Amino acid sequence: MTFLDVIIRGLKRRPLRTGLTLLGISVGIAAVVALIGLSRGLVTSWTAGMRQRGTEIVVSNFRGSLTPKPFPAFTRDRIANLPGVAATCTILVDLMGIENAELMIVSGREWGCFAWENLKLVSGRMPNDQNEHAVVLGTNAADILKKKIGDTVQIETEELTVVGIANGGAFVENGSVILPLPLLQQITGNHDQISAIDVRVTPGMNDAGIRHLCDEMNKLIPEGHAEPAGEHIASSEGYRVINAMSWGTSLLAILVGVLGVTNTMLMSVFERKQEIAVLLALGWRPSRIVRMILWESALLGFLGGIIGVLLGIIGVQLLKMAPALRGMLEPDLRTNLMLEAIAIAVFVGVLSGLYPAWRSSRVAPSLALHG
Amino acid sequence: MNLTSSPSKAGAASRYVFEATGLIKDFDDGQVHALRGVDLQIEDGEFVAIVGPSGSGKTTLLQMLGALDRPSEGTLKYRGESLLDLPDPAAYRAHEIGFVFQAFHLLPTFTASENVQIPMFEDHKSRAERQERALELLKAVGLEERVNHYPAKLSGGERQRVAIARSLANSPSVLLADEPTGNLDSESANHVLDLLRSLHADRRMTLILVTHDMSIAACAQRAIQMKDGCAVFDGDPAKLSIHRIA
Repeated sequence: MTFLDVIIRGLKRRPLRTGLTLLGISVGIAAVVALIGLSRGLVTSWTAGMRQRGTEIVVSNFRGSLTPKPFPAFTRDRIANLPGVAATCTILVDLMGIENAELMIVSGREWGCFAWENLKLVSGRMPNDQNEHAVVLGTNAADILKKKIGDTVQIETEELTVVGIANGGAFVENGSVILPLPLLQQITGNHDQISAIDVRVTPGMNDAGIRHLCDEMNKLIPEGHAEPAGEHIASSEGYRVINAMSWGTSLLAILVGVLGVTNTMLMSVFERKQEIAVLLALGWRPSRIVRMILWESALLGFLGGIIGVLLGIIGVQLLKMAPALRGMLEPDLRTNLMLEAIAIAVFVGVLSGLYPAWRSSRVAPSLALHG
Repeated sequence: MNLTSSPSKAGAASRYVFEATGLIKDFDDGQVHALRGVDLQIEDGEFVAIVGPSGSGKTTLLQMLGALDRPSEGTLKYRGESLLDLPDPAAYRAHEIGFVFQAFHLLPTFTASENVQIPMFEDHKSRAERQERALELLKAVGLEERVNHYPAKLSGGERQRVAIARSLANSPSVLLADEPTGNLDSESANHVLDLLRSLHADRRMTLILVTHDMSIAACAQRAIQMKDGCAVFDGDPAKLSIHRIA
C-alpha cells in the first residue's frame, strides 16, 4: 500500500458523492475546452484559410467593431507598390443568412487575383468573368446549402447560379460562398468598398520583414490596419469579445466546480474527523493529513479534468453542428488546450482543498479516544 | 533520549517512563475539572490498570500520557523529558506510543494488513518493509489467515487484534489501551487480554490500560483508581476491591 492508495481509498469511500463532484468539475472543464476551443478555432480556421490563399499580411479595419468595417478599395493603391509587396487582392467578406443557413461566409474576391488560385474545383467551373451572376461554393458550403452545379443561391435579393464547387484547402475556405468582388459590392451596396486587402510578400521575407512591412503600410493607411495574417483576427475587437465571453462563461463554470469540490472535501473532513484524529494518534503529522486532503482534491480535479476534456470534445462536435457555426470554423482542440484544461482542473482541485485541508489540520487528536 | 528526531527506546534518563506532578486538566474555560492534581510515576515495563467510573478522568489521563492533549497545569515527563515541551508530538506518538482503542478505529476501506501499515508511513519504511512488518505483526496476533480481510469481514475480537498489531507497528515502548475489551464478548475479551499480557511479558513493554472492569484490572501489576479527577488509589489491584468497599 502506498500513500496514493490511501488517497484513492479516501475518494472511493463515497463513490456517489465523488462521482457527482467529478461531474461538477468536468462540466466546468468541458465548458473551457468547448468555448476556448471554438474561440481559438476562429483564429486558426481563418489563419489556415489565409495560408491556403498564400496571404501573409491582411489589411483590414476591425477597430471599435465586432466585424471588419468596409473601407475604400483605392486604399490598395497606396500600398501595392511598396518594396516587399509581391501581390495584393482586395476582398469584401460578409456573414449572411443564406436560404436555410443562418450564417454563411460570403467572400467577394477581386477578379483574377491570387485568392482564386487555391480553389481546386471538385465539380463545375469558375465564373467566366467578374460580371457573370455566378458563385463558387466551398465543399462544406455546398453541403450546408444542399446545392449542386446549376442550382441557384439567393443572396439578399439576387439569385446567383452555382457554377462550381471547390476545395479551398481550409475549413473556412470550404465553408464559404465565393463570388467576384464587384458582384458582392453590388449586392450589398458597398460600391467601391472592401473589407480586407490580402497581401503576398516577396519570397524569402522573414517574420521581422513582414512586421516591418506592416509598419510601413500602417503609416500610409489610416483607414485600415495591416497585420500578419491571423493576427488581425486575434487582435480584433470581435475576437476579444468572443474570447472574453468564453473565458467568462468558463470561469463561472469553474467557480461552480470549485464550490463543489470544496463542499465535498469539507464534508469529507467533517465525516472523517475521528478517523483523522486516529491517524494523528497513530503518529501521522498534521502536515501529512493536510497533504492527504490536498492530494484527494487534486486527484478529484485531475480526474474531473480528464472527463471534462472528453466531454468538451464531444460538446464541441455537437456545437460544430449548430446552424450558426456550421462550416464557419473548425474548433482548435490542440493538445496544449487539453493540457491547459487539465492543469486548470488540478489547480481548481488544490484551490478547493485548501480550506478543508486547513480544517483537517485543526482536528484534535484527543478525539481519537472519544466514542 | 531525543523525542524530536530519533526517539530512543533504550534511552533511560529516568527510572520512570512517566512522571506526573500536580496534573490538572480543565475544560470549558475551567467549568469542567477532568483532572484535579494527579501525581503518579510509572516505571518502565509496568502493567498498570487505570480504573474508575465514567467521568472520573481516566481517559483524560490517557490522553495526557499519549500527548493527545495538554494539561492545564502541572508537569508531565516521559523518561525524564517534559512532554509539555515536545516540538513534535507526532514523532512521540509515532515512535514511543502504541494506542489501542475501545472501538478499534480500523479504517474500513483498508485490509487488516493495510491498517497495520498505516502508522508506518511516518517511519520511512519502504513498501515492501511495511508489508513484511504487517504480516509479521498479524502473525504475532494470530491473524495470518486474515491478512487481506477488510474490517467488516472480521469479528470484534479479530478487529481488536488487528488494532493491537497496528499499535505495535513502529515498535513502541509503551502501549496505551483505552477499554480494549469494552466492545467485546467475554471470550474475545479474554483472548485480547491474554494477548496484551503476553505482549507485555514478551516485549517488556509498559502497558497502561484503562478499564472499568475490575476483573481486567486484577490482571495488572498495579492499579490506579480515579475518582472525580483524582487518583484515589494507587497500588496492588488485589486490594482495589477492599479499597472500594472501604
